[in-house]
Amino acid sequence: MSTDCRKTSATAIPSSRRVNIDNADHIPHDYSTTPGGTLFSTTPGGTRIIYDRKFLLECRSSPLARTPPRGLPPIPGVTSPASKEPNEKTINGEVENKHSITAPDMSNTGDEAQFEMDI
Amino acid sequence: MNNKFDALKDDDSGEDQASPKDSEKEKPEEDDKDQNIVKKKMVVPGPGEHPLQYNYTFWYSRRTPGRPASTQSYEQNIKQIGSFASVEQFWRFYSHMIRPGDLTGHSDFHLFKEGIKPMWEDDANKMGGKWIIRLRKGLASRCWENLILAMLGEQFMVGEEICGAVVSVRFQEDIISIWNKTASDQSTTARIRDTLRRVLNLPPNTIMEYKTHTDSIKYSMGRLPWTGEC
Repeated sequence: MSTDCRKTSATAIPSSRRVNIDNADHIPHDYSTTPGGTLFSTTPGGTRIIYDRKFLLECRSSPLARTPPRGLPPIPGVTSPASKEPNEKTINGEVENKHSITAPDMSNTGDEAQFEMDI
Repeated sequence: MNNKFDALKDDDSGEDQASPKDSEKEKPEEDDKDQNIVKKKMVVPGPGEHPLQYNYTFWYSRRTPGRPASTQSYEQNIKQIGSFASVEQFWRFYSHMIRPGDLTGHSDFHLFKEGIKPMWEDDANKMGGKWIIRLRKGLASRCWENLILAMLGEQFMVGEEICGAVVSVRFQEDIISIWNKTASDQSTTARIRDTLRRVLNLPPNTIMEYKTHTDSIKYSMGRLPWTGEC
């Protein structure tokens, strides 16, 4: 962190984050919210513990977050690897269907661009 | 020893769970016992960890083919994965669980505040409802992660209203939903909807449906209670 400060001239406040708004929908609906981010205020009854997505994702790599959880029940294919190919029964051929059918009713989404990251 | 087990039995006896048939008795009771022990040990954040506003519990359920649909069988089919109180503890569980998009068959992950069962009948849920978003295949893992991170990080700003979130893997689509306590509180449900749009990065024309649990119960006669299907 401190290595960033090569000069001692005025610099921007660190840890600020730019959020570009290209859609009216992304504008917060109340005045104490920052676009794309966290509320900086207290709520009736006291301060709440608020974390934004970016912070939570950063915590993921901490050593504390990497140790296996205590008492994790072994559920094959869920909390423990399904022995190679999932040895679970296919229910009325559901599993096969899942792969061959591409959801036909996309009429209610029309959201092709939603998660496209790279073009 | 005896006392301990008696105490656990007492805890089980109430609420909505009908007493299981004799033939089924052994296994369900054991499950319940385990779940109660988990519940009793309230998890706390470890040293140096980031506490969450609430403790949460991960659950997993999967439809058993050919089983009759009832509240009772639902309770027996749902498994507690574990509870956590800090950001780091959350990641420990999450990192050791499969992504919902990779689940097979008819299954669900539930993430609810500790002490709230992911059932309509729970006291916290019975006056409540849920926002439902149907997703085409391929989006569930990412949407689910965004949804639960927003919930754990208290991004919804609706006080105590949030109960939990569910991702349901189905044949042709996946469904994510977030449950709140008071279905009749329109400012709360509107705020949850707006937060969902923001944190899931949904396009404006995505259909979001609010459903009260009393309606779900009414229209689900003979269906599995957790299917999420209308």
